[in-house]
This record gives sequence, structure tokens and C-alpha cells, in this order.
Amino acid sequence: MIELLAQTCLNAVYAASYISLVAVGLVLIFGVMGVINFAHGELFMAGAYAVVTFYADLHLPFLVAVALGLVFVGCLGLLMERALFRPLRDNPLGGLVASIGFLMILQALAVMGYGVRMEHIPPVTQEVIVFSDKVRLPLSRLFVIIAAIVLLGALWYFLKRTKFGWALRASAQDPEAAELQGISINQTARIAMFIGAGLAGIAGALTAPLVSVNPHMGHSVIVTAFIVIIVGGVGSLEGAVLASVVYAVVHTFVTTFYDGVIADIVGLSLMLLVLIVKPTGLFGSADRA
Amino acid sequence: MFSRIFSSGLTRRTFLKSTAATAVSAGLPGAALAQGEPIKIGFLAPLTGAVAAWGKPGLDGCEIWAERINEAGGIQLSDGAHPVEFVSYDNEYDPAKARTGATKLIREDGVSFIMMLGGDTWPGVQPVADKTGMLFSTLLPSDLSPDTTTLIAPAEVHPIYNVTGVEWLAENKPDLKTAVMCAQDDALGLPSVATYLAAFEAAGIEMQSEPLLFDPATTDFAPVVTRLIADSPDIVCLDTCYADYVHPICEQLFQQGYEGQIISCTADFYDQMISKTSKEFMEGFIFQFPDFDDPALNSDQVNFEDPNGFYAEYAERFPGQWGAVSWEYASIMDLWKAAAEKAGSADPEAVIAAMKEGGTGKHAFGDADWWGTELFGIDNALVGDWPVVVIEDGKATIKGFKNIPEWYDKHGDLLVKHMKAYDQMWDQRG
Repeated sequence: MIELLAQTCLNAVYAASYISLVAVGLVLIFGVMGVINFAHGELFMAGAYAVVTFYADLHLPFLVAVALGLVFVGCLGLLMERALFRPLRDNPLGGLVASIGFLMILQALAVMGYGVRMEHIPPVTQEVIVFSDKVRLPLSRLFVIIAAIVLLGALWYFLKRTKFGWALRASAQDPEAAELQGISINQTARIAMFIGAGLAGIAGALTAPLVSVNPHMGHSVIVTAFIVIIVGGVGSLEGAVLASVVYAVVHTFVTTFYDGVIADIVGLSLMLLVLIVKPTGLFGSADRA
Repeated sequence: MFSRIFSSGLTRRTFLKSTAATAVSAGLPGAALAQGEPIKIGFLAPLTGAVAAWGKPGLDGCEIWAERINEAGGIQLSDGAHPVEFVSYDNEYDPAKARTGATKLIREDGVSFIMMLGGDTWPGVQPVADKTGMLFSTLLPSDLSPDTTTLIAPAEVHPIYNVTGVEWLAENKPDLKTAVMCAQDDALGLPSVATYLAAFEAAGIEMQSEPLLFDPATTDFAPVVTRLIADSPDIVCLDTCYADYVHPICEQLFQQGYEGQIISCTADFYDQMISKTSKEFMEGFIFQFPDFDDPALNSDQVNFEDPNGFYAEYAERFPGQWGAVSWEYASIMDLWKAAAEKAGSADPEAVIAAMKEGGTGKHAFGDADWWGTELFGIDNALVGDWPVVVIEDGKATIKGFKNIPEWYDKHGDLLVKHMKAYDQMWDQRG
């Protein structure tokens, strides 16, 4: 039983890692731009396809492919900001609808470019850290955990310790006041979109060899991310990270000890419970919600 | 509503005329063909989306089949030879789109027969079938019911053939006594769960725990696998999981150190699974769908024409794309062609009568019986032998053919019991 608990904990840590990368990106975009980006799951998918292209097809080193994936998806974010969200800045629903349209375009492009079938990505490594006979951590999963810690740590440092980070936080708190202080809203929006999309992209890129890469893989990711940001508090980065951990632990343990379908129900119930008890989420404030 | 239609420029007279014409054409599927006119066959399956792997490769196989038949002179009906052509419609495994597709194929394209994957999409199509009398086929006989006499399952008796893999396993590896199972919670997964449970019970193999069901949207299978192998089962059964699940589950089994037996309905693209795990890990993996270059398919009992040549041509045109359904829709067309030529007509009613004459038919894997009243309420499934396939030295190899009705005669009560427990009998499905 102890081995089962230990393995389940390792599984939960991995799940929390990639979920938090996606959710933090989504929160960042919402916090700075006020847009609910429905295409965020497809940015995750685009990151995975970047690995298909650069690593599986062009045989570049995996880490290079992941880095290229981050840049590529970050640029997709810049494109979305300039072409979709900026012209619709005064229309909150417009951004949401435009992101749904972009979601469909990305899916269609993936189908046209790669076909409908899942892509085969050779394993990056088959090395496994063996703690005991039934407690194992594949190195490929450890990469994801380390990358999530490093990236989220770097984001925290960026937001708390750099001038651009302060500008971003100021824009998120009060865009008009920030603009009066000489902060360019367009520039902060670009930075938020690049980082937010890039986080989704790198999550997709890092996990691509571990999941089935197909044009529709973003759907389940965005559903999970929405649950997480509602539980954590819409607009709260700390809340998103904490809620990712809570959701991953609950979902992984319920799947392991009961059933995957029940785990989904429990995950949704967790969200409903938070909405009833604290509608703003664990870390959300009333004005953000 | 009507006033809005008419105010948009459509007159009442035009509306009535077009509706009447549509109703008449819908009631006359497969109207007589002109001499030499192509016979159109509808292909209504998922060509995109998560289930596309069980649609698109089948259409590719059908195109090869059509070229071969047309080169050999086409289909010989009473009024002469007709070439055959396929008209496809991507239903995206969505019931509403499947219904639209069925209506379009019948009304606009004038097809004589429609092949489907079935499953979740069949309820959308059933009203169209009942209204028009069009002949439909499904790969999933769990769609069958006495309500629709023009739906047949002539190629695949999913999931009943899965009993043959378990039976072979019990005979050849009698020391394996405990099993666990996981499945996606959907119309493909649940009847297969019931079938495997019956097969394991019949074989004296104990289930260590209840089957673990997961949401079809699952992407991380580590928790599923951790739970599956927690009590060190002899056998892990992957039910009828889609390839998108079988691959990551196998990879997780490998990474979490499982060394026992794996059995699954399918192992599409198993070469990719080997590259993600190892040849040694995949050795002995049991499933139900052979590669058609297998020499065992050249035996006299097999009715599929030139299976090795078909496979070679498929592999050349669609490298790395061979899957469970690549041959199945083509084999249905073999059966349909023989029946149409026997009837001398492409009319659905005449074709199905010719097809079922005598209660037997030529299934791809051997002569078989029209069967299924107890399970499906109607004898519209063509059931006989089915191959058991094992991966040996990195290659799928047919280890033998097992007879499904023989198994059912011995253990049918178990299958009915488990099907009822999962609400999968034809009279339980909503």
C-alpha cells in the first residue's frame, strides 16, 4: 500500500506540473488582457506538433525542439494579440468568440498539415528512476516536473523583480492607471500573450512524447485548465498553481483508488464546491471575478 | 417559423413541390440504374477526429477494392456490368452529422448501400434507415436490433470475437490465473468489458478488481496503470481501447515495470508501440486483427480475395497506415457484390434477401452463419471463425482461428449475464 501511495504521489506531481504550466498561462492572459482564451488548449496542441516537426520529423535534439516550440507558440500568441484581441479590446465577448474561431482554425491547420491520426514521437529516453519494484519515475516525466518548477520560478521572478513584470502586474490591476503612468498597454499585452501562449506551448512540447498527439488533444487540457483557474480564482497566478496541485492530487488519487470517470465527477464537484463556498476562488478577489 | 421561410422568397407551391420530391426520392433508395451507370456506395464513417483511425483506413481499403473490381469488369447485374464508386461523408463520430450524412448520401448521391462504423453514430442514422429502407452495415453488431431489419454486421462481430483471444490464452498459457481490465466509458468500451468478463469467467481466470473505466478525454494514463498493476496481475486486458489509449497505456505499463501478459482487442500501429517500449516487452501481446501479409490467410477457408496482394498494395500506397479496419469495409463489399450479382440488382431489399439466403454467408475468415437473435434480437450478424493474433519477434502473427458460435454454445449464458449487468443487451440500450 505504501508503494501504491508513493507511485500515486509521483503521478500527481507530474500531472500538477503540466496542468499548472497551462493554467498559469491562461490566467496571465486573462489577468492582463481580460480575455478568456478558449484557444489555449490548441496552443498546447501547437507546442506538441512543434515537437513532432522538429524532433520526430527533422530529428533535432528534443530540447531544441521544445525551445522552438516555445518560441513558435509564443509567436502564435503575438499573432492572436495583434490580429484578434487588440481590435476587440473594448469588447470582452468579442475576444472570447475570436479565440473560439482561432481554436477551430488551429485544429483545421493541424488536420491539413498532419492528418487526423495520432503522431508517433520516439521516446526521448527510456531511463527510469527505480525507487522500488513498484515506485518508478521515468526521466521523461521528471523533465516535465523540473521544467515546470524552473519556468514557474522564472515567471515569479520576472513578475516580482523586473520592471516589465511590474508593468504587467500594474496593467492587470488597473489598466487605465497603468497607462497614465506611461506603461504601454499594447506592450504589456504582447508580453502577456507571448508568455501565456509560450507556457501552453512548452507544456504541450514537453509532454508530447508522453501523450497521444492529435489535432483534438487540446480539448481535455482546456477543460482541466478552466476548472483549475475557477478553483484557484480567476486572475490569480498563485491560485492557479495551488489549484493545479489540488486538482492533480484529487484526480490522480480518485482515479487510482476508484475510477477515472468518478475522478472527473469529483474534479467538477470540487469546482462547484468552490463556486458555492467562495465564488471568487481560493485566491481570487471580487473585482477580478 | 413557416412564415419566416415563405417570406424569404420560397413560395408555398415551391416548398410543397420540393418536399414532395424529396419524400418520394427518400422513399426510393437504390432506384434502377441506367446501363453502365456507376453503382454508388456510401461510406459514412469518422474520417477526422479521435475515432478516424477506424474510418479513414477503411475508405483507403475500399478505394483499392473498387479499382480492382472495376479493372475486372465491375459488378454484373441483370442489366449488365456497372463500375462501382464510393461516396464518402465524414461523420466525425457525431450522431447528428451521421444523420445529415446518411440523408445526403441517399437523397443527393443516390447510393445503393451505406457502410458505417456504427457505435455512437448509429442512433442518429437509425430513423433515416427506418424511413428509407436503405441497407446499412455496421462494424459494431451491438447496434443491431429487431427495429431495423436493414442494418447488418457482416464483417466484425465486435466485441464478441474477443472471446477467442481469451480462449486461446487460457489454452496456451494455463498458468495465468488473474486479470485486470481498463476501458474507456463509451459505446465501444462497455460491451467489450462485458464480453471480456464473460470470456475470463469461462476460462477460469479471476478478475482481481472491477474493470477500471476512464473518461474518453483522458490523456495521462499513469494513474490508470498504477491502479491496474497494483496487485501484480498475470494479465492486463486493454479491452477495446482506441489506439490513442492503447499506446500510452502500454508505454506506462513498460515504464512502471509490468512484465506480465497483455491482451487487447486491437494493436493498431504496433510497430510504434514497440519503438516506445521494446521488442521484448511486446513479445506475446495478444490481439484480434492480423496483418494481411500473414501466410495463414492464404488458406482455403479464407474468403477474402488475395489478402497478401491487398496488403502489399495498401502498404505501398499508405505506408504505416495499416490498421484494424483497413480490410473490413472491403470485405463487406465482397459480400455485398456477391449478393447484388446473385440478386441481379442493387436494390437494398433484393441484396439483403440474396445475402441472407440459406442463413449462411462467406465471411472474410471463413464460411459463417447469420446469427445473433439472443444477443441482438435479430440474426443480422455474420459470425464464424476469428483469428487470434500474437506479436512474435516484433511482427503480428496469426496463431489460429477460433469459432465464435462454438464458444457461445458453451458459454453464452455468461455473456448474456455480463451484457445485462452493463445494460448492453439490445433491449436495454436507450
